[in-house]
Amino acid sequence: MTIDIQDFSYAYPDGEWALRELNLRVEEGEFLSIMGANGAGKSTLCLALNGIVPQATGGRIRGNITINELNTKKHSVAAFSRQVGMVFQNPEAQLFSVSVEAEIAFGLENLGLPRDAMRKRVDWALNLLKIRPLRERSPSQLSGGERQRLAIASVLAMSPKILVLDEPSSNLDPSGKGELLAALEDLKSAGGLTIIMAEHDSELIAEFSDRIAVLDHGRLARLEPPESLFANVDRMHALGLGVPQVSEVAACLNKEHSTNLSAVRYEEAYESMKNVFEPN
Amino acid sequence: MTEIETQNVRFSYSNGEDVLKSVSLRIDQGEFVALIGQNGSGKTTLAKHFLGLLRPREGTVMIQDEDIAGKAVGEVARRVGYVFQNPDHQIFSATTMHEISYGPQNLDFDEDEVSEQSKHAMDRFDLTAYADQQPATLSHGVRRKVALASIYAMNPQIWILDEPTGGLDWRSEQETMALLHELNEAGKTIVLITHDMRLVAEHTERCIVMSEGRVVAHDATRTVMGQEETLKITPPQTWRLGNALNLRPLPLTVKAFCQEYGKKLATEREIDVRRS
Amino acid sequence: MSVAPDFYIPGRSWPHIADPRAKLLVLALAVVLLLVFQNLWVMLAAWLLILIVHRSAKVPRDRLVFLLRALLPVTILMPLIWVIFYPAGEVIISIGFIDIHGESLAQGLTVALRIQAMTFAIFALLFTTDTDTLMQGLVRLKMPYSWGLMLSLALRYVPNFANSYSSIHQAQQARGLEYESTRGLKRVREMMPVLVPMIIGSFRSSEQMAIALEARGFGAPEVVRTYLNVICMRTSDWALVAIGILATLVLLTLNISYGFGADPIAIFP
Repeated sequence: MTIDIQDFSYAYPDGEWALRELNLRVEEGEFLSIMGANGAGKSTLCLALNGIVPQATGGRIRGNITINELNTKKHSVAAFSRQVGMVFQNPEAQLFSVSVEAEIAFGLENLGLPRDAMRKRVDWALNLLKIRPLRERSPSQLSGGERQRLAIASVLAMSPKILVLDEPSSNLDPSGKGELLAALEDLKSAGGLTIIMAEHDSELIAEFSDRIAVLDHGRLARLEPPESLFANVDRMHALGLGVPQVSEVAACLNKEHSTNLSAVRYEEAYESMKNVFEPN
Repeated sequence: MTEIETQNVRFSYSNGEDVLKSVSLRIDQGEFVALIGQNGSGKTTLAKHFLGLLRPREGTVMIQDEDIAGKAVGEVARRVGYVFQNPDHQIFSATTMHEISYGPQNLDFDEDEVSEQSKHAMDRFDLTAYADQQPATLSHGVRRKVALASIYAMNPQIWILDEPTGGLDWRSEQETMALLHELNEAGKTIVLITHDMRLVAEHTERCIVMSEGRVVAHDATRTVMGQEETLKITPPQTWRLGNALNLRPLPLTVKAFCQEYGKKLATEREIDVRRS
Repeated sequence: MSVAPDFYIPGRSWPHIADPRAKLLVLALAVVLLLVFQNLWVMLAAWLLILIVHRSAKVPRDRLVFLLRALLPVTILMPLIWVIFYPAGEVIISIGFIDIHGESLAQGLTVALRIQAMTFAIFALLFTTDTDTLMQGLVRLKMPYSWGLMLSLALRYVPNFANSYSSIHQAQQARGLEYESTRGLKRVREMMPVLVPMIIGSFRSSEQMAIALEARGFGAPEVVRTYLNVICMRTSDWALVAIGILATLVLLTLNISYGFGADPIAIFP
């Protein structure tokens, strides 16, 4: 299940080009993060991955996005809901059901699944996101982290091979972020899922990403793994973006004390820095 | 002068349980203090008392040594500026200029002052280009600036900001923090409600930690970070790394880490050189 | 995010378990009967019967008291209006120079009881049926699914509206908003700084919600929508329907052919 973005440009009906000539191919099972300043086009790109852009939004479009051979211009959004699951920043604007179970079942009901298959999928999704004990609860009684996990469960229940998350941690407090982190870890290790995450939090990005796509005014400015992207702190700052603190530390030490350090995650920073003291 | 003082403030909403259980604290003029705590700890509720949006069931709230019990919110707003988390909760005008001048007008600034303050605010936040546009149609980042400018135009002495950097990119975050430092250097008192421990470590001198309706810590940021386990906070990476590598003093910022580690490195290299 | 105000009180009593379609039908029939009958004693019996349904559904007393309190003005007003403006029948009591005529009193009381009975009947449905089940019932009765969803979403957003009003009001107070007028057009104009963000906010929310719903396959063309917890007419439900229809027919016949319950005081004229 690959995502093939070819020369893709998009403009909203009354606006400028929000995405310009994007060329990008996402491999199956990859964890790709999208970074960019506010307004760079992250959300628009996310919405383009299941056909909402352009089918629900109109506007001008050039180039193509094909998701496993299906062109986003030519198949209904509902058809893509089976391939691509999308979770948005604000759970308030996604969750509406009476119970957690009902919320997860909603998408499956829309697809006309028979009841037995539905029950199985609901159980599976509850387990995957570790929210089984919350089954009967009303979404309004859940914490931020729990709601975000519910939102993920309710789209994954539809068995897409691709999960798109648009700034999932923006509305979460530290404990919610922790829950999101754990959920992403579980999803990544469970395998079989291509994950695309638009985010500002560089430390969250560094934790999981195979590659990072940086958008700048709608263009693809960079596409590389976190290790190389975050190593050049000045370049990231010039793009208006931050890097994990440990990367900043590594860059600072390299510059001022001629070390040769490289780190994007806490653990590797610790490992490489404590080693500097090893006697030769 | 004591800028903000609360004495035994107790507060509950009409349906029962105490959200604030007896909060007494003092914030002095010119402080730049972080107000942190988990969701539900009462930090926003407490902050709203500083403006008089909420009134305590027991206890007193004093702003600049005056009890605000009898005062209307509008009156307290002359001294306390409160920037809400969601800029869309206040944007309503047909033009950005009008939006920003709404506050000063309500405070009965005279016409010239209103126009001067508004223009100054728009300048400061680079919004002059948007003066005649509908603020609701502008992008999220710009709307946040409009919200900040709206309070800036009221020129309050005390600033309270509720999660001003949520969902912002790095550059906008830096700009916002630079604004706060600028205000602080001009003598304003800043109370920053935030979850971002990195920002707390890098920018604030003191920290108030709340839990379950009580103040559980009110000290220098450094001291508060040191109590991470009891207070259940997660310090930023530089602090944790510094702790793991036994750097003393523990670094709150990247720069400090660099310095401390660099010193240690230099010492180690000297030892190496001497050995060989 | 707050709880949707759908009045539902969880339970497993027979009114809870009954199929919403059966309940809707019985409710409709009850409303018809309540409108047809004019007799005070019949109305009282109906009122008691509906209260019995509430009790068997284990509706807590305080809910019923709340409803009674809400209807109190009407309950007192109706008999007063009838007695004062539409005197009819013999005088049964005289207080000072006011004569209270028996028939008009009965008529007034009947109207009051009717309003109460209809309210209690509707709430009997709402207390025992959650929104999803009710919507599914309506959809199975051939209401388009999107209407049902629209209704559920509207209900679910009511508490959001209340909350956002409060947040927005506070944000504007922080900029010096103070209401000076208390009513009328002037007050509405003063509320603009609160109303406008609420409206804009609801447009934004509904756009986001629409995208989220579509992203979960809503509106898939050529798909017959299924349900996780399907409602099913059981024997007891058919029995309820049968009893309801039968009782209605009998009562209506008695009323039309024999005048049963047509007169305010006499059961059989």
